[in-house]
Amino acid sequence: MSVQDPQAWDRPAPGTPGQVSLPSWRWLTEAMWRIEHSFGRARADARPEEDTRVRIFVILSLFSAVFVCLALGAVNAALLAPKGGVGWVRHPNAMMRGDLVDRNGALLATNIVHYGLYIDPAEVWDRQAAAVRIKRVLPRVSMTKLNRVLTGERRLIVMTGLTPGEKAAVHGLALGGVTFEPEDRRVYPLGASTTHVLGAADTGGEGISGAELAFNREIREAGAQGESFALSIDLRVQGVLENELARAVADSQAKGAVGIITDVQTGEVLGMASWPTTDRLNRAVSAHYEMGSVFKTFTVAAGLDTGAADMDTKFDATEAFVIGKRRITDFHATNEVLTLEEVYLHSSNIGTSRLAVEMGPTVMQDYFKRFGLLDAAPIELHESARPRRPIKWDDSTLASLSFGYGIMITPLQMSAAMGALTNGGRFIPLTLRKGGLPNPEARQVVSPETSATLLDLLRRNVVRGSGGRADAPGLRLGGKTGSANKLVNGRYDPTHAVGTFAAVFPVDGPLNARRYSILILIDEPGSYPRTGGFVAAPAVGRIADRIAPFLGIERRADPYRTAMGEKIPAFEDVAGDGR
Amino acid sequence: MSATQAIRRVFDWKVRGVRWIEIIGLVLVAAMIFSVYLAKAAAANESAEIASLERQIRQNGQRVRLLRAEVARLEQPGRLEALSRMAGLAPVDVHRQAAVTSLPELAPVPEPQPLVIVAPTPPAAPAPVEAPAAVTVEAAQ
Repeated sequence: MSVQDPQAWDRPAPGTPGQVSLPSWRWLTEAMWRIEHSFGRARADARPEEDTRVRIFVILSLFSAVFVCLALGAVNAALLAPKGGVGWVRHPNAMMRGDLVDRNGALLATNIVHYGLYIDPAEVWDRQAAAVRIKRVLPRVSMTKLNRVLTGERRLIVMTGLTPGEKAAVHGLALGGVTFEPEDRRVYPLGASTTHVLGAADTGGEGISGAELAFNREIREAGAQGESFALSIDLRVQGVLENELARAVADSQAKGAVGIITDVQTGEVLGMASWPTTDRLNRAVSAHYEMGSVFKTFTVAAGLDTGAADMDTKFDATEAFVIGKRRITDFHATNEVLTLEEVYLHSSNIGTSRLAVEMGPTVMQDYFKRFGLLDAAPIELHESARPRRPIKWDDSTLASLSFGYGIMITPLQMSAAMGALTNGGRFIPLTLRKGGLPNPEARQVVSPETSATLLDLLRRNVVRGSGGRADAPGLRLGGKTGSANKLVNGRYDPTHAVGTFAAVFPVDGPLNARRYSILILIDEPGSYPRTGGFVAAPAVGRIADRIAPFLGIERRADPYRTAMGEKIPAFEDVAGDGR
Repeated sequence: MSATQAIRRVFDWKVRGVRWIEIIGLVLVAAMIFSVYLAKAAAANESAEIASLERQIRQNGQRVRLLRAEVARLEQPGRLEALSRMAGLAPVDVHRQAAVTSLPELAPVPEPQPLVIVAPTPPAAPAPVEAPAAVTVEAAQ
């Protein structure tokens, strides 16, 4: 409010006379006084609307505008705050990575708060005694590191990843200068079990191998929601698989082993084990093997599907099959003319070679491609390796391929191909996702009739052929043995063998009935005989026997065996070698 | 016109030269400031309690996770199998397994025998010990 004498508006601006002020200051004070005097001038000029009230109104409006802006800003911040911005509340159970659980909710991997151990040497009273006492309660601490920190100047980290128990023990020493910083750690409570399927995650919370890498984004998203991520693995099945695999390895003194159990209708992997568990290599998806006679299944399937042969087609196995300089013989020569069924049950190399050469390279390549034997097994795991394929497809190669030489595939490819053959001929990509892939792209590989024929043939191979040791009472198990020698220094060495058994159960019922495939591969067994029928088949039988209750498969009789496993027609292993 | 007069009258209503409307306004503002203060103080208490509860929940959650991991470690199939084998257990042989439907074959239900009710003999002599044995009831299982 102006209290100036309106008549004195042209009075010079007050300043301390005699005191010289800076020009900028003088300009400012003059400007202020000019504004002050403007009302006096307004009244003098008879313009009362430029009065105090107008001034108040202007200031009021200015303040109102500022407050309205503030209010709008506050409302915006309160109601429309962006996710992750200031004031956004995280899920109370949020974690860096979600728990991994099996299909029934059993815990496979979780995050647990661990602690980093920090020591400030300036606050430690007796450094020698402190080092000794810490080492006593924390044996895995590095003594050199501990001494370096204790003799240092600053507060430094001694060790990461103390479990809550270890933290409590060190804390209980009541030493000065010892502090702990919490850190989230990925923990695999099952230890070596399922280790290859799960893989690992780094300390930054990113998956680096196995399912942790394959489902990295989804696991992190589940963690942010405080939920867990379910795999298709069934821990009970996985446990049986691992235990029986370890037993088979112990029995056969093998160098390595692989076991895979899948649901052939959905492509879900229920169990996957690789032995030894201390090896980081997941042999089930990353190791290549020439698998031998299990490939005869695919050769016979191709022959039946193209119509090149039926079960009664005769193949001359009286003498070796000669291609150029190469003579293909049978492991146990029958020296007879065999039907296709006998070729399969006797595991005759001559018979399948003749069939493959008869079909030709185009058909063989087409069918191998269809069965996924020429591409990496389709599964989420990044480790899934490409097979080693033959370069040229001449007659000699065809003959080799027909009985599983000349091509090295991963066990998972074999599992996927067996699934395609036994579920009505649909090749379904394998998955580690519970419930299978949302909409799997199934492609028809062979006709349903071929699939049905092969199911019966697999069963006959168990009751009459080389897979007798795999039979599980009442579970109608069918399968094919495979035995191959490894290429050592340029020649196939019979002391370095691979024994395989690829099985499916139960083989009866409609083509879309529930059915599970079991693949056991024993790498370089030390015991004799080294054939799949001896090293791998018994494990398959025991596994089927033990997992059937978990999978809800009832024991029942079929035309060959009673529900208790007694023989109906007395047939034995026709060759007697389990090859 | 009357409206402006009424408003003017309200504004002119004074006590000791102070407008009543200003006094009322001041009182209202004071009440509002006090209530906002109360509300803020209560909210601070509440949020402190919420924070403490959330900390508890987080700690309990961590503990639950720790215990779950411990359970998973103890229940892992390899360990259980080793322990069972040590205890002399093994997978059940197929001949010793049975489904619920095969129970009647395994243990046939005995034919319910007719109830034999012996007519109670008149108590000629005081024989209270034998009295309950007089009635024989064969109950079917």
